[in-house]
Amino acid sequence: MKAFLRKITGNHEVTLGIILVVLFIVVDILSGFKFHGLENIGDIFKNNALTLIMSLGMLCVLITGGIDISITGTLAFAGMTIGLLQKYNIIHNTLLLFVIAVAIGGACGLINGLIIAKGKVSPIICTLGAMYIYRGLAYVISNNQWASGEDVTSFSKFGNSAGPYIILALAFVIYFVVMKWTPFGRKVYAIGSNREAARISGINVDRVEIAVYTLMGVLAGLAGALSVSIYGSAQPNMQTGKEMDVIAACVIGGVAMSGGRGTVVGTLLGGIFYAVVYKALPLVGLEAIWQNLIKGVIILGVVIINVLTQRAMNRQALARREI
Amino acid sequence: MAGKSGRTISAVPQKSILKRLLSWEGALVLIFIAVLVMGRIMSPYFTLENVLREMPKYLAEILIVFPMGFVLIMGEIDISVGSIVCLSATVACFAGNAGLPFPLVMLICLLTGLACGLLNGFILTRWPELPPMIVTLGTQIIFRGIAEVTLGSGGSLSYVNSKDLGILSKTLGPFPVAFFAVLIAAAIFIVVLSTSTFGRKLYAIGSNRTAAKYAGIKVSKIRLIVYGLAGLMAGMCALFILTTTFGANTTTGQNYEMDVIAMCVFGGIATTGGKGNLFGALIAGFSIVCLRIALGLINTNPQLILIIIGLLLIISVLISGISQMRGKKLKKKKA
Repeated sequence: MKAFLRKITGNHEVTLGIILVVLFIVVDILSGFKFHGLENIGDIFKNNALTLIMSLGMLCVLITGGIDISITGTLAFAGMTIGLLQKYNIIHNTLLLFVIAVAIGGACGLINGLIIAKGKVSPIICTLGAMYIYRGLAYVISNNQWASGEDVTSFSKFGNSAGPYIILALAFVIYFVVMKWTPFGRKVYAIGSNREAARISGINVDRVEIAVYTLMGVLAGLAGALSVSIYGSAQPNMQTGKEMDVIAACVIGGVAMSGGRGTVVGTLLGGIFYAVVYKALPLVGLEAIWQNLIKGVIILGVVIINVLTQRAMNRQALARREI
Repeated sequence: MAGKSGRTISAVPQKSILKRLLSWEGALVLIFIAVLVMGRIMSPYFTLENVLREMPKYLAEILIVFPMGFVLIMGEIDISVGSIVCLSATVACFAGNAGLPFPLVMLICLLTGLACGLLNGFILTRWPELPPMIVTLGTQIIFRGIAEVTLGSGGSLSYVNSKDLGILSKTLGPFPVAFFAVLIAAAIFIVVLSTSTFGRKLYAIGSNRTAAKYAGIKVSKIRLIVYGLAGLMAGMCALFILTTTFGANTTTGQNYEMDVIAMCVFGGIATTGGKGNLFGALIAGFSIVCLRIALGLINTNPQLILIIIGLLLIISVLISGISQMRGKKLKKKKA
């Protein structure tokens, strides 16, 4: 029993999962058993598809000890480009548009990766600059124009189908496998845990880092296409500030900002966690304007609890050694 | 300071004029002049009066550059300042509309900022393992969240007795009050950083925190003060924002933290800590403000400024990175 308890409290994902299930049941009861419908759960995933998709890329970036705050800029640039391509009737093929968005995202990410790995610029500064540049590019190419609902009718059919769910599921499965069982995933963890040791043991740190940021860009581009498809419009200021949501989802899911720690499952739970809280607020009688306040409290609460449990575990380990 | 051995110890190395010009601050002065010249060539309206009239809109941000410089020199980061501006402006609006006298409103605004900053500092010093980025991310969302809740569903509130704000939007000669506020703040912060023991301690913490701690520097106390200062200056920024917007809404001060960090980094402050000075950040701040005004005057896409700031930021950091790498290679060759 004691070992079981220790296993539960020692594992962030399990703890988070249990809290999530309890929260879900409580909210379901409070709402008179309307919460567990398939439609409602589908909504939760769809409304957070962008955050969830990008949190996978952010997971890798954070594990290497970096950070990428340019992602919503990339998202806006890619999304705006394909929005305009449809507005001016140049391309209407859904698949081709997705490929273009992903390619733009990948290029943006590759530039970030090259500057960070080869130029030895600290990730936060590089991506801060990149955030301005990509967002600015989105504004400049849009030239104060929007791509509205009528422009993207055929494209938004995809967003209303099962498409986003399939992409989401595929992305999570691929990342789960890659991060757990492939050399690439292990290299990412190795770099985050100890960069020098990774370098000495023969890992090409620069190349892995470039790949991580490129993948982040690819996912941001994909999220851009999804955003246009799901919301049926493209504006240059779309999803401003959402990069912090993505980072927050990772942190709630147990990813360490110092690198080397974090899992795909944890990230998924972290992303769903405040999606459920969001959905639950109106049910317990709080207006939507309370969302941000509660989100912030959750983030702080989770990181502080993490520190406290870490301290307790360290103390226990020390006590055991002294005996 | 001649020691027993006759060796002189000086914190400020002597530099020739040429070296000073070649330093980053020198380059920044040249960039600043280039911005002014370019603005003048591109638009006939880029005159002193027009620039000064447009300035208050952008100047307030520079007030936060100085405490942010302190935070970055310690090797930390504070991304909650934009939200502190929002919350302070909101509270000031409520206080002003409740009929309180203006000096009291000013005090309340500053105290709100200070309280927010101290909360950041308290959390960070109570649990020192926490990364500043995440804590201030959390408080960023919380402070703006509080402002959103208090502003209600409308999401905005105007300052009714806007006459009161006249004191802060006056001009002394051709210069707006905000300009003097920035200069006075700059003078105080620069002197504190470069000459006081407090400033030296900041560099010590930024270069090697553990060493600083064992050298007897009270790291937590200093961190608390610095985060408090960041909040206080954000409160002051909110006051000057009110003089141009005459009200607060949920997007007041959005992205200020990024703008301010960009100004600091462009000004030569390293985010890894222990390096840089506020003089560079001040010039960088003014360069970006003037660039914004110039781009606003010539009839172009105003968002072009985003691309320019981004490019300046990355290029400036790349240059210093590359020159450092070359320096290391040269040293290796010599050895």
